This record gives sequence, C-alpha cells and structure tokens, in this order.
Amino acid sequence: MNPRTGVKKTNVTEQGAAGFSPHGAASALEFAALANQSRPRGMKPAALLFSLTSFSLTSFLLISVVSVGVFLLGATQAFAQQIDYERPVDVAPSPEDIGEEYVLPVTPQAPPRAQWREAVDVAVLAAALLLCTWIVLVRRSRRWLVVLSIGCLLYFGFYREGCICPIGAIQNVVVALTDPNAAISYFVIAFFLLPLIMTVLFGRVFCGGVCPLGALQDLVLLPTAGRGAGRYIFTTAGGGAGRYIPLRVPRVLDKIMGTFKWVYLVLAIWLAARPTETRDFIICRFDPFVGFFRFTGPTHMLLIGAGLLVLGMFLGRPYCRYLCPYGAILSLLSRISWRYVTITPDKELDCGLCAESCPYGAMKDLRAEKSSCLFCARCFNACPRHRVRGRPEVTSNESSQSS
Amino acid sequence: MKDKPTRREVLGHAVRGATLVGLGGLGFYLIRKANGEGVWQIDCEKCVNSRLGAVGVEVCDYCATSCVLGLSAVRAVNDYSICGRCYICPAYFDIKSAVNEEGLPSQKLCPRDAIDRKPIGWVDPDDPANNYYEYAIDENLCNGCGKCVMACKEPAGLNSIRLVVRYDLCLDCNRCTIAIACPDEAYERKPLSEDEGVG
Amino acid sequence: MRYRYIGVISGKGTNGGLFADALRGLAFDATDRLYAVGDSKLVVFSPQGKLLRSRRTERPGHSVAVAADGTVYVGQPGQVQLFDPDGKLLDTWRDAGRLGLVTAIGFVDDYVLLADAKDRCIRRYDQGGKFLNEIGNDNRMRGFLIPNKHLDFVVDPQGVIHACNPGKHRIERYTSAGKLLGHWGRFDGRDPAGFSGCCNPTNITLNRQGHVVVAVKAGPRAKVYSADGKLLAVMGEDDLDPLCKNTDVAVDSRGRIYVIDTARLHICVFAPDITTQPAEPNADETVKP
Repeated sequence: MNPRTGVKKTNVTEQGAAGFSPHGAASALEFAALANQSRPRGMKPAALLFSLTSFSLTSFLLISVVSVGVFLLGATQAFAQQIDYERPVDVAPSPEDIGEEYVLPVTPQAPPRAQWREAVDVAVLAAALLLCTWIVLVRRSRRWLVVLSIGCLLYFGFYREGCICPIGAIQNVVVALTDPNAAISYFVIAFFLLPLIMTVLFGRVFCGGVCPLGALQDLVLLPTAGRGAGRYIFTTAGGGAGRYIPLRVPRVLDKIMGTFKWVYLVLAIWLAARPTETRDFIICRFDPFVGFFRFTGPTHMLLIGAGLLVLGMFLGRPYCRYLCPYGAILSLLSRISWRYVTITPDKELDCGLCAESCPYGAMKDLRAEKSSCLFCARCFNACPRHRVRGRPEVTSNESSQSS
Repeated sequence: MKDKPTRREVLGHAVRGATLVGLGGLGFYLIRKANGEGVWQIDCEKCVNSRLGAVGVEVCDYCATSCVLGLSAVRAVNDYSICGRCYICPAYFDIKSAVNEEGLPSQKLCPRDAIDRKPIGWVDPDDPANNYYEYAIDENLCNGCGKCVMACKEPAGLNSIRLVVRYDLCLDCNRCTIAIACPDEAYERKPLSEDEGVG
Repeated sequence: MRYRYIGVISGKGTNGGLFADALRGLAFDATDRLYAVGDSKLVVFSPQGKLLRSRRTERPGHSVAVAADGTVYVGQPGQVQLFDPDGKLLDTWRDAGRLGLVTAIGFVDDYVLLADAKDRCIRRYDQGGKFLNEIGNDNRMRGFLIPNKHLDFVVDPQGVIHACNPGKHRIERYTSAGKLLGHWGRFDGRDPAGFSGCCNPTNITLNRQGHVVVAVKAGPRAKVYSADGKLLAVMGEDDLDPLCKNTDVAVDSRGRIYVIDTARLHICVFAPDITTQPAEPNADETVKP
C-alpha cells in the first residue's frame, strides 16, 4: 500500500450468481446487525458451487484512483473479467485544465551525494596521506605539514563536516562484522583501512597531517617563542631558555592516561556490536570537535570540545593521546611500521637539543617513539643537523648565493 | 647498510607483511558485505505525519528539532503530480482560523511561512475560487516540522506533501540524531532503491 | 431541527460483513427499499433495514440510483449497469472516452444524468444510453473541482440539478441543458454553516421538504441546509469514522438520513428527533467496532 497515492490493495471474495439470490429469514429486528450473514442463505446448490469457484477470484479494489487499479483474476473464473481503470481519475489538474501553457513543475528532490564525490573523498584521503608521508619523511618540513593539515581541516572538517572519518568508521566496520544484515559502504571501508595501511608502512601519518581533529588541536597549542617567533606556528616548540614549553606529562602518567583510549575503543566496539535496538555509536555521540565543524551541536558535545581545546592550548593534543580510539589502533600498528620519523635526517647524534621540542611526550631516549609520535614535524627544526643538511636545496641556494 | 638483513629486520618485515595481509583480508571480507551507499531516508508509511489512518494525532516535529544541522536536513516537498491545486489548501492555511473578508482563513499553517501560494493558469479576476493555485515549499525556509504533511493527509487532503531527506545537506551521520528521536522508527539508513524516487 | 443516531445497517461484524472492501453508493426506490453498492455487489435492504437480496455487479459499484420505473442503475468504472427490480441485468452502457468513473446518477424528465469523476462533469444520456450533452464543464476549470475524486449531484422535482463543487465549497444549480443557475456555499473552518477543509461537501441529496442534505469529510458529518443555504442540522460527528471520505447520503420517505461510513463499511442511520431532548443513541453494540 502506497501511503502517498493511497492505493489500497485488498483481496475481495466475490459472491453471487445470476439474478438476486433470495434471502430467507433475516433478523426481524429493525436495523439489526447483519454481520452474521456472511453469505445469503438459501442459495441454490448450483449457485453455491458456482460462487465457491469464484471464491478464489481475487480482485484488487481500487479506492484511490490516482494509480491504475488492476483486477487480477484467475483465467478460468466464470466471472473473470479484468477490470482495468482505463481512464483513472486524476487528482492533480492536468496542464490543459490549468491552461496558459502551464508547465508541471518538477517536484524537488535532492539527489543523494554522488558516488563520484564519495570517491573524491577517498582520493583526497589517499593523496593527503601520501603527501603527509612525503612532507614528514622526505621533505621534512613543518611548514608544509601545517599547510596540509589546515587543508585537511578545511576539507574533512569544515567542508565534509566531520563525516566521514576513520575514527567513526571503526563502528561501521564493527557493525558490518557482527550484524549479518548490515551493509557497509565501500568508502567507509577505504576510510577505515587506508590510514591503517599507511601506519603499518610509515607510522602515524594520518594523525600528523590528515586528521581534522588532530589538526584543530595542533593549531590551538600555544605557540612557543623563539627562533622565528613571527612565524610562530611554523616554528618549533622548546629548544632554549625562557620559552614557553607545553605541559609535560610525567611518562608514567602519560602511559596510564594513554590506556583510556583502549577502554574507549573496547567500549565503542562493544556498543556498536550490540543488536540494532541497543546499538550506540559512542564515538560519534561524543565526537568532541564535530560541533565546531558544523557550527552547531548538542551542548555536551560543544562543552567537551571546548574543554579539550582549552586544555589543548597547554597540553598537546589531549584527545589524540588519551582518548582517540582510532589512535589506539594506530599506536599499536605504528610499532611495526617500516619507516618512521627520525629527528635527525641522517645519523642521530644524541646531542639532546631536540629533547624539549616535542609537545606530545613522544620523545624517548632522544628518539621519536614510534607508537606515540604524531608526525607533527616540530622536532626537525630543533636538530642542528636538520638545519644544516635537512634541506639540501636551501643549502645549495645559500651556497650559490655566497659564491 | 645494504648487507644481509638482520634477524630483527626480517622479523619486522614478516610481522608487517602479516599485518598488511590481515588488513587486506579484513578489507576483502568487508567489501563482500558492501552493497553500496546507504542513506538516511524517511519511510512515509511509518512516519506519523504521512502514515495513512493516523488522523487527529499530534504532529511529530522531531525531524525539525533533532537534526544536528542548524536547519534540519529534512524538508517537506509537495509532489506536484498529486497536488490538487486547491483554492483552500489545508496545508497552507490554518483552516481552523477565522475567515477574513476575502473568504479565506486568516492564518497560515506554516510557522516559518515557507509555503508560497500563487494562482496559476488563466486567472479569473472576479472569482478567486475559480482558479487553480500552486503551492511551492521554499526549501531554504522549511525545517521539516511536518505540520503541512499532516494537514495534507487523507482524508483531509491528498497526501501530496511528504517529508524527505535533503541528501545534499544530510551529513549521513553514523549516529543520526533524528533516527534516535523518531518514535515511529521511520528514519532508516538503507540503500536508495530505484523505485523510491518522486512518485 | 435535530437528528439522532439510531443505529447501523450492515456492519462489518465479527463474522464478516456484507461489504469486505468498499461501500460507496446509496439510493432509495419509491417503496423505500434501500439499495447499496460496494465491493462488486448490489445489495437491497427492506425499509426496516433487513437484507433482501444481493447480487454481483460486473465491476465495483460507485453509485446507484433507481428510476421511476424501478430500473436500478449502478455506476461503475467505465460503465453503467442496468438491472430490473428483480435484479436481472438489462443492459450495460459503455461509452468509450466518456464514462470514466460514474459516481452519481440522476433522472430528469426522460433522461439519465451520469456524473463522471474522470472528466469532472455530468453527462446527459437518453434512456437508450445515447449521449446528449455535458453539464458543468463549460467553465474556466473545465469541470467541477473534485480533488476528492468523487462528483455527486441530485435532481430536484423541478428538474434542477444540485451538484457539489467541493473545490469551491459550493453547491451549484444547473439546468439539464448545462446552464448554471446559481450557487451557494462558502468556506469556513469555524462556522459549521460553512464548508471546511480543502474540498467539501462531497455528497448531496434532497429530502422530501426540499432541504439539501450534504455529507462532508475531515471530520465526517452530514448536514442539512435549507434550499437557500441556511444550516438546519448537523449530525454524525461522533458516529462516523474519522477516516471516512465521500460518504454517500440518502433520505427515505420518513426523513431518515442514511450516511455511509466508508471506513467501517456500514450505513449509519439518523432519524429526525421529534422530541426536544437529545436521545441516547441506540447503537447496536455488536456491529459498532
């Protein structure tokens, strides 16, 4: 039954024979219910048999005449006659009725987001991941990384308004794995897997320059004074006396708080794996920054987001380090990554100059720790060897100028 | 450096390779379950505002109030192939309001004044009832509150107005706040089938 | 004037009513026998509401009328079937391109008037089924405005056609030649004397006093107006299913008003209340759902 056109399909059991069937003793009561007489009594046996054969006659009665009603009939029925509403009654006046060369307007219907645009999202993600890898591992440029992360923040954050994101995709994947009836989009699969594959190969490149949530936190982290203070967001953190240094979390406490994200991940998987009625997408529900991307949202989301951003001014990327469930998976996979961030472009010197440059506590024994390095590229500028040799073309330029 | 790889490197490659194969297997398994893009849709047969038979009940405006967007992604659309172009449209006018000197209800139904009414075709200058009227819903004003949908329902109307999701605005949230709020479970995420276009 | 609800005929009861899917048309013959059409059935009730006979019609009946000679006309999609008083099929009129959906039948002089909801006009035929002329579509709208998909009219003893034009909230009077004599009725959603909603009234008949009895939808009621459009009585607000639409009305010689409940598939009966006290409805509980 179509609610809009109101076509009601009902099976009607027809009865009757030629002529009126005389009806015997009906209830003598005036206006008494005749409900008990489903069929007039006193029918002749032949007529009864006849009517019985026509019982299987199934007809679709038309109530609305917007659509063409068709009576479907068994071919062998004696009364079989297809009742087709050759000229259905239209509700809407025809353009001829309206006159003046009226043109029927098109009923507005926005098409779903085109598949190619979803594919563009995936392509942008893949390109951003590759570009980020190149910028951090080859080009070794904080400046370009910031440009890239702002670009990704604008695209995945403000343009795509935080959906689709690999973090939330965890839940879709869990649903697809646990619910036999659930479907998953190809693009969600791509969003979930691409950053994971890149992490196995190169480390947490997704966190560094692609994730809009990470980019937002990275940008609010209070800049440190120092070399090139005018271009503050491009410069390093730390590296000298009298400069602002982001809040350091003691390593033990950092590790303890880092387990929160595992709890969050397990909770999210557990809630997403529940049956449809009780299923909850907790990652999306408490997504801290999506409210900013959309300039609206439930109060609790905006409050959590604002709180995390204020905290993030003094403490580097609190959501990424302690809460992000996708970050939990990435931190695990990044341990086996093939390539990774090395602070010094070539041989590491253990000079210790970079020690305070990392705002995310990812420096361990003067090396970038694979599992917690967020690919922010701040440490490069703190390294004297990077400044000398990390950017060969600059060196060659200088040398050509000096010559 | 280019010498024989150490045991540690070989082991690392093996673990990496195994992990990549695992991820690939996961992807392969998921792709087998993928059947295209699901989008949030409103089932008109379930939504109380358009469901036949539900008359004399409260209008449900959760589509307007629950969406994460400032202006909900749900809109009312008037199906012009059904709309009767009535002189007195119960979805445009508040037909219970007092009649003004023109013989029309004095109040409009839409709280956001999103419906536009204009006579179409040849216009009779003497008798306003002797005309067809086109009712166009401004998608930029409508917030999907459903009042007009309920008012246009059989038997009072013709079911020409219904609520639809503006796919171009819908963010396709994983956790659609309208779907959670919907009391009729009419808000579903499913692949768009061919026959569910404009009817 | 007051009417009171006195019961129903042919309820869709527990054991299956007479009508399973639709009940659409009502008419009385000269001896007050009630003819009802619905499903693909023509059913005759005695003046006391007893079931007399039932026979099949070829297509679902949308309207019924009894001519002065007792011939029963049943309007159907694309055709009209004629039966003699005993239920024998006399003739089937088909008029390709003219008879779309016959929702009302009337008689004036020796002619038969058929309302065609498809073309939104009334057509006059002679007794042999020959088309003569059209009524009501010589206007800017090219016919009556019936978004409710039902065109109903009644012919008074003087031969004037009173037709519902629900989209304009009017009752229009025509001669059988198609000349518009005048109209009355107005929209009003508050005042019960006006017609509410998008399209009302939907059905019309006349009683012996010449009062106009109309049925309206959303919410369904029947109303009695004087011939010049003064509201005399309202009935059925609480007795008809709110989903009712195009509820045909008929009046017997006693002045009782019969209204089809198209949702519950029975006929509600309202009697003129001679006492001033509103009486308790004497509904048959077994058939009232």
